[in-house]
Amino acid sequence: MKISVLAAATALAMCAGAAHAADIEFWYGNTGNVETAIKAQCDAFNAAQSEHRVTCVGQGSYEVGMQKAIAAYRAKNHPVLIQFFDAGTLDLLLSGAVVPVQDVLPDVNWNNYIAGARSYYETSNGKLYSQPYNSSTLLFYTNKTELEKAGVSKTPVTWEEIIEAARRLKAAGHACPFVTDGDTWRVLEQFSARHGLPIASKHNGYDGLDGEYVFNTTFAAKHLANLVEWRKEGLVKLNADTKAGNYTAAFNTGECAMMEGSSGSYAASAKAFEGKYEITVGMAPMYQGYERHNTFVGGASIYIMKGHDKAEIEGAKAFLDFLRHPQQQMFFTAATGYVPVTNDVLDVIAESGEADSPKYATAAIGIESMNQPHTPDTRGIRLGFYVQFREVFMEETQKAFAGQQTMQVALDSAKKRGDELLRRFEQTYKGAKLP
Amino acid sequence: MSSDSTLFSNRWLPVLLVAPMMLLIALFFYVPIFQAFYWSFFLERPFGGGSEFVGLDNFARVLADPEFWKAGWRTIIFMVTASSLAVLVPLILAVAADRKIRLSLPARNVLVWPKGVAGASIGVVFAFIFNPFVGILAPLNSIFPGIWAPGINGTDAFITLIAAHVWGGIPFNFVILLAGLQSIPRTMHQAAAMDGAGPWRRIFDVQLPLIMPQLFLTLVLEFTESVTSAFALIDTITNGGPGGATTLLVYKIYMDGFSGYDLSGASTQTAILMVFVIILTAAQFIFLGRRVNYER
Repeated sequence: MKISVLAAATALAMCAGAAHAADIEFWYGNTGNVETAIKAQCDAFNAAQSEHRVTCVGQGSYEVGMQKAIAAYRAKNHPVLIQFFDAGTLDLLLSGAVVPVQDVLPDVNWNNYIAGARSYYETSNGKLYSQPYNSSTLLFYTNKTELEKAGVSKTPVTWEEIIEAARRLKAAGHACPFVTDGDTWRVLEQFSARHGLPIASKHNGYDGLDGEYVFNTTFAAKHLANLVEWRKEGLVKLNADTKAGNYTAAFNTGECAMMEGSSGSYAASAKAFEGKYEITVGMAPMYQGYERHNTFVGGASIYIMKGHDKAEIEGAKAFLDFLRHPQQQMFFTAATGYVPVTNDVLDVIAESGEADSPKYATAAIGIESMNQPHTPDTRGIRLGFYVQFREVFMEETQKAFAGQQTMQVALDSAKKRGDELLRRFEQTYKGAKLP
Repeated sequence: MSSDSTLFSNRWLPVLLVAPMMLLIALFFYVPIFQAFYWSFFLERPFGGGSEFVGLDNFARVLADPEFWKAGWRTIIFMVTASSLAVLVPLILAVAADRKIRLSLPARNVLVWPKGVAGASIGVVFAFIFNPFVGILAPLNSIFPGIWAPGINGTDAFITLIAAHVWGGIPFNFVILLAGLQSIPRTMHQAAAMDGAGPWRRIFDVQLPLIMPQLFLTLVLEFTESVTSAFALIDTITNGGPGGATTLLVYKIYMDGFSGYDLSGASTQTAILMVFVIILTAAQFIFLGRRVNYER
C-alpha cells in the first residue's frame, strides 16, 4: 500500500517534471492583504510568460516557513525560492543551504538597491545574499483626528513631543494615547539603529561570531525604562492593555491615537481609517539631542536554495527579475505599504505624477528613514540564534512591564541569556566563517 | 482471563492485526524519540552539516540553565493542579449523574461532547471567554479595573490555562468514571442503605473504593497527558506569556527547537522530559497501582 502510493507519487512527479521544464515553488510567510498581493504577483508572472510556472505556497508565518524549509531541506524536498525574515539572516548565511543571489544573477545592477537595504543582506565584501522583497521599516503613525480633538495640532516628532501629546490626550479623557507591542524589532532594534546605538559588540556581530550584547548599557535601556514609567502613567499601552488585544488593531479601530509600526501595516490602517479618521505617517520618533541615523530594513527577502537543476534556477531567476521590475514593486507598495528599496522605482514613482498619492505614502518616508547617515552599528544585525533572543527579550521585558522586576534587571538578564545563545551558536558553527 | 489461543486460531493473526498500529507508533514515536536522544549528544546545525559530538555537554548546559528549571517547575505545578482538577470535577459530575437526579440523562450525553473539540479550538474559545474586556470576567474588571488581566498577570494566564485544560479533560474522565459507578451492583447500595448509610457515607465507603481502578486509570492518564497536551492550549491562549509565566517545558521545547532553531537544546530537553514522564508513570504504578484492587 505504502509502496504503491510512493510509486504513484514518483510517477506523478516525473510526469509533472516532463510537462513543464521549470515548475518552481516559492514559499512565503505573510497572511492577510500582503498574501493577497503576493498571490497576485505570482498569477501575474504566470500570465506574463509561458516558459516557467511558479507555484506560490503560503506557510502562515515566517517562522513556520523557516521550520518547514529546514525539514524540507533535510529531506531534499525544498523549494527553489523561499522568503525569510530579517532575524533569520545569519542562520541562512551560515546554513550552506542557499546560494547568494548575486552569484546566480551576476548581471543585475544590485547597486540599484539602497544602501540601507543592502547592508542587512550582504556579505562582508558587499555581495548581496538575498533579494530584498517585502521591505519595511519602522514608522510613526498618528490618528490626526483624535490628536486635534485633544488640542494637539502639530504632529509630534520627538519622544518628548509624543509624551506631551499623550498627556494632553489623557487629560482629554483618551484611554489609549500611544500603543506599542514592546516587540524586540520595534522597541530595541529600530530604536538602537536610529539613535546610532549598538545592540551587540563587534558591530552587532558583523565582525565575528564572538560578539556580546551591550544594549543593556546604552541609551536604549533608558528608553525602555521610560516606557515602563509612561505605561504606569497611562500614556503608553501594550497589546494586553487594549480592548482590541493587538496594537495595530487598536490603532486601526481608533482605540489608540498613536503607534510605532511597520510600514507594511500602512495599507490596512489607511483602509480602516477611511471616512472616519485622518492618518499621518512619519519617521519613527527620536529623543531630542540625538542625531538621527538610519532605521533597519525589516520584512523579508527571497533566497535561492541549493540543490536544484538548471531549468529550475532559470525559472527562479525569471521570477526574481519579474519581482524586481519597477512596475511590480510599485504594485506591491500600493497594495501593502511595504517600501520599494531600489532607486529606479523611486524615480518611476516621481515621474508617475502620483508621488503624493496616499498609496505611495510610505515609500518616500521609508526610504528617507533608511537613507539616514549610517554607522558600522546600523548596518543590520548578524547575531546567532537571534530569533530565540527576540523571544528572550520579550519575556524579560514583559516581566518588567508587569512590575515583577525593574527594566534594568530585565535587560541585564536578557543580555546574560542572549550571550549564552551567542556562545552556543559560536560553538555550533565552530570553524564556520562569516561570508 | 481466557488464554489467547481460544480467541485466535492462528497465532500470527494477532501480530498481523497489531502490525499497522505498531508501524505507526514506530514511525511517529520511536524514530523521532531516537532521533531526539541522538541529537542530544550533538551540536546540530538546523540545515544539517557539521554536527559535532559533544557528549553530555548539552545535558550539563540544560541542567544548569535556570530557565529550564523554571519551566520544569511550572510543568509540575500545572500537572498537579490541572490533572487533579481534571479528575475531581468529572468525578463530582459522574457521581451526580449516577444518582437519578433530574436531567442526569441528558447531562450524560452533553458532558461527552467536548471530547470532539480539538485542544487548539478549546484554546481559541477560552481565550475569548477569559478576555478581560469582553469575556465573562469583564464585569469584574469594570468594578475593579485590572483585577483580571491574563495578558499582563502571569497567575491569571495560568488559571486560564488550567480552566481550559480541566474543561477539555471532562468528557473522557467522566465517561470512564461514570461507567465505573454504573457497574457497581445496585445491591451494594441497597445493602449499605439498609445498614443506615446516608448518601455521603455511601459515596466514600462504597462507591469510591469500588471505582478505584477507574480513578487510578484516569489519574495516570491525566498526569502523563497534562505534560504534553497543554501545548495546544498554550499555543493558542498565551503563547507562553506573559513574561514566560505559562512557558511549560513542552512549549519551551517547541520554541527552542522550532522558533529558535536550537535542535540540540530542544532534543536534550525532550530526552529529559521523556525520562521524567517514564519515571513518573512507573512511580504511580509502583506506589499507587499496588493498592488498587481490581477484583470485585
